Amino acid sequence: MSVRAWPAAWPNEGDSRVPYWVYTDESIYRRELERIFEGPTWNYLALECELPGAGDWKRSSIGEKSVLVVRGADGVIRGFLNRCAHRGVQLCQQESGHARHFRCPYHQWTYDLDGRLMGMPFRHGVNGVGGMPAEFDFSQHGLTPIRIAARRGAVFGSLNAQVPELEAYFGEKMLPYYDRVFDGRELRLLGYSRQRLRANWKLILENIKDTCHASLLHVFFVTFGLFRVDNPSKVRMDDTGLHAALISERGRQELNEGTRQMHSFKQQLALQDPRLLDTVREFPGDATVIMHTFWPNLILQQQSNTLAARQIVPRGPHEFDLHWTFFGYATDDEEMTRRRLRQANLMGPGGLVSMDDGEIIERAQHGFASAADAAGINEMGGRDYADCDHMVTDVALRAFYRGYRSVMGL
Amino acid sequence: MTLRDELEDFYAEYAEVIDGGALERWPELFVEPCLYRIVSKENHDKGLPLSLMLCESPGMLKDRAHASKELNVYAPRAWRHSITQIRGREDGGEIAARANFVVFETLPDQHTRILCAGRYLDTLVRTQAGLRLREKICVYDTTLIPGSIVMPL
Repeated sequence: MSVRAWPAAWPNEGDSRVPYWVYTDESIYRRELERIFEGPTWNYLALECELPGAGDWKRSSIGEKSVLVVRGADGVIRGFLNRCAHRGVQLCQQESGHARHFRCPYHQWTYDLDGRLMGMPFRHGVNGVGGMPAEFDFSQHGLTPIRIAARRGAVFGSLNAQVPELEAYFGEKMLPYYDRVFDGRELRLLGYSRQRLRANWKLILENIKDTCHASLLHVFFVTFGLFRVDNPSKVRMDDTGLHAALISERGRQELNEGTRQMHSFKQQLALQDPRLLDTVREFPGDATVIMHTFWPNLILQQQSNTLAARQIVPRGPHEFDLHWTFFGYATDDEEMTRRRLRQANLMGPGGLVSMDDGEIIERAQHGFASAADAAGINEMGGRDYADCDHMVTDVALRAFYRGYRSVMGL
Repeated sequence: MTLRDELEDFYAEYAEVIDGGALERWPELFVEPCLYRIVSKENHDKGLPLSLMLCESPGMLKDRAHASKELNVYAPRAWRHSITQIRGREDGGEIAARANFVVFETLPDQHTRILCAGRYLDTLVRTQAGLRLREKICVYDTTLIPGSIVMPL
């Protein structure tokens, strides 16, 4: 696609409109990498339970940049750009592993778990010839460190020195939702799913902030009441509008004023094996589902008993990767683990619910391709930005785009 | 007929049921009790229990087949399984079978692509209707699934 100057003018209607060029334009995308992913944000990187012991490492991403998350000999988790300080070779290619040190295979520059350059062959030459200059300073040529913050089992990273502490970044309003899932219990890693979707990365955040679609697109949510606008629900956002929590309770498979309007509601549909939806209440309060969007790259999913961190990795304006890390708690009994694994059928690249989302956002991207100057409409529930005690609203989308425009200067 | 021939015939039928759009017949290729899983090589190698699809009973197979055929929303597509290097060993009334699979996916306005490649780790039994699956574990190599897996592999 050709690079062109994006139209400076956002539609006159304001944040209730989203011009499609924000999903297709190369220069907008470059600005997103710079101002958002590499800007003053905390990016989700890992769960601590993925790195239980000293020397355990995981490859992760901030924007398009590959990063290493490593637990040091002192037990502290650190982060580095995944790139040799010598010639830029990617150090680690596996998803994860265990190391005593990191050695680039090209010229065997070797780093300790803290990222310090420890040595290289031929430093002092061979047979009295060659070698590095005597003044070459090892302390100046370690791996490039990134800021790391961990809270209650999840690890975040930032390339920016100005970003406030993680707790202040999420804010007083969002932190309790974060802490509801990451409640201090040790986590248990259940596994990964990874997919590449041919759609702009913002669409998957929007998908989670867009409360109405869940009641229309997804037969499984609608029919079995897992996430439906006629259920008691709330939308909560921080002051920036960029973080949000969609909070709801499971409802019944019944015809009412809401379900009557949902073409995807199937009153007669019955599962042949209902164990799929044998959900149990495990968190305090009435909510049975909270879908969190933590700006800019984390969707934290608590749908009944299926928990996952979905990490967004942008790959240009037209593609992104979605890495799903499913987890439970170390204290789960075998029955609870089985329940989580069974309910995981709803989510992921083959999810009875999530496959609809992956497919529909790719379809949206197809729609934008030939209509960069047209715009989407987010007017359900009005044109305001206030927290809301129902889900028949696009308020989280409006607030999101208000925040996005402010960050992007659009 | 050798065991290899029997397995060849069975996998040809298996592929035909899915690729031919007769997903409602897919559960008939299993016995009760049964287990069906799609699992990434990453999870499999690390001993992580998460499946991309998990059916623990004929009922769950039927629920998945029905959802894929009638309920989920996805772009129209053609699937084509290629199942090769089939081999099996019969022992105590059960057949442990291994095979490679590739699924080609064709979407509107796009080149045919490889959706995923991997191995079947299967257990089959003999029934009056022929070979049937007791257990089917589809371990896929593909690190990033292109799009979604909208049907059973």
